[in-house]
Amino acid sequence: MMRSRLPLLIVATIALAALIVPPLLPWTHSAIDWDAVRAPLFSPGHLFGTDTVGRDLLARTLVGTRVTLAVALAAALVALVIGTAWGAIAGWYGGKIDEAMMRLVDGLYALPFMFVVILLMVVFGRSIILVFIGIGAVEWLTMARVVRGQVIALKERSFVAAAEAAGAPPSRILTGHILPNVAGVALAYLLLTVPQVVMVESFLSFLGLGVQEPLTSLGILVKEGADDMDLQPHALLIPGGVLVLVIVCLTIAGERLRDRLSR
Amino acid sequence: MRALLLRRLITAIPTLLGVVILSFVLMRLAPGGPFDGERALDEETRAAMDAAYGLDLPLGEQILLYIGRIVRGDFGPSLVYRDFTVSELIAQGLPISLTIGGLALLLACALGIGGGLWAAVRAGRWQDEAIMGAATLLTALPVFVTGPLFVLIFALGLGWLPVSGWEAGSPSHLVLPVVALALPFAGAIAKLTRAGLARALNEDHVRTARARGLAERQVIARHALRPALVPVASYLGPAAAGLLTGAVIIETVFALPGLGRYFVQGALNRDYPLVLGVVTLYAGLIILFNLVADLIYGWLDPRMRAE
Repeated sequence: MMRSRLPLLIVATIALAALIVPPLLPWTHSAIDWDAVRAPLFSPGHLFGTDTVGRDLLARTLVGTRVTLAVALAAALVALVIGTAWGAIAGWYGGKIDEAMMRLVDGLYALPFMFVVILLMVVFGRSIILVFIGIGAVEWLTMARVVRGQVIALKERSFVAAAEAAGAPPSRILTGHILPNVAGVALAYLLLTVPQVVMVESFLSFLGLGVQEPLTSLGILVKEGADDMDLQPHALLIPGGVLVLVIVCLTIAGERLRDRLSR
Repeated sequence: MRALLLRRLITAIPTLLGVVILSFVLMRLAPGGPFDGERALDEETRAAMDAAYGLDLPLGEQILLYIGRIVRGDFGPSLVYRDFTVSELIAQGLPISLTIGGLALLLACALGIGGGLWAAVRAGRWQDEAIMGAATLLTALPVFVTGPLFVLIFALGLGWLPVSGWEAGSPSHLVLPVVALALPFAGAIAKLTRAGLARALNEDHVRTARARGLAERQVIARHALRPALVPVASYLGPAAAGLLTGAVIIETVFALPGLGRYFVQGALNRDYPLVLGVVTLYAGLIILFNLVADLIYGWLDPRMRAE
């Protein structure tokens, strides 16, 4: 039991630290300490040292984690809403509607998504809101497929037939009887979508196309750390480590939940 | 099988057209244009520039003209690299990107299938757990973390390999980018192989093979491996897309003059023809790769050919 909850516990701890700790620190993520440029690890006042212009790396890492997680959660929720609605409608109505809707999903699956997202960034400017709308709008495909499969399976169950016989309208059956039963699997895929989005957001930010200064994110920090790694390897290792830890833990938690529910 | 391929080809063309039209419209919706530099152009020069690049025509006409030209392999002039056409930039960058992507795909398949097989044979033992744990970790390692990390360890730290650059494709310059790009896909393929083999070993024809008294090694090699690789084959399409996007990062980290770098530069500089050309090309490549994956699919599992 302990072992199965560990990944989520780690992510929760990181998220909580990212939320609570920054206001308690003497430095904000963008304040410059002119007396301590490129401070090494464990310097007085700067536990993780400072970057090339003297900004506190502990504050930057925590704020970056917060931004990355917030963007990821928001985008995953967008994906959840679009995917669930799309999949539920396709699965429930079946036939030609299903065929057309899922054909579109198949078509979109074949596209080079990252390039479409980059295109969106180029066209509409690099704003953080667009980053997550753009990502959420392209990450819903798997969710739609999964929910559709679930709805098709549930449609045949006797409690749905009973609800139909009792005269419940389709909208009520869908929201009252089918979607609650899809919720568990949808949650598992939500957990799996979050690390995906973390990856996409960091990817974009790394290239300079995502979150913009003075706001920061783990992708930006990895990029800055990589540019300065010959002098200060920890500037790359700390944000990179947090990023990998978050992705690994969420993936493991999501996969476990999915496997338990599909058994 | 032939009918299936034909149907895929027929849906591929509208998909590709859809990508081109969508990207084209999006690009034109953007506020600001490629000639908005630091110095404002006077009206006449601007009008002349727009006319020269066909930017003054109605949108529909521009799209038709563009499609007509790319069918002939002409992606137009690059707006930022003034002396080059987009086709020339693609001709320069694509071989490099394909070399890195192709080698990474081969390495990922070799490591992934090998690792997955070994784990499946040792199912439930520590080797299985170790390999699957490593696979999960690998899939979670983003290339923009592993890339710089490898440079830090193997180039700056140990000094075994060069930090970056292409040097006409010398092998020592290829090692780090290819390995960094391949690792996440190796992890994913290992997981798929392991799951596929576990399922295949429970199938009737495998039980029959065992009942005939074949050695376990032969059962796996002759009867279980092929159907076990079906999920791997269906992963090749998304993997190709992932490798192309990963190559963008790898080329940036290792300063390789591939197509991905031109794409990022084009995106940062609003070089419409360049970005459009690369998106179209990548969409075409991914669709092509999905077709190849379908062929492999049919070869691996004869039951698929009947459909």
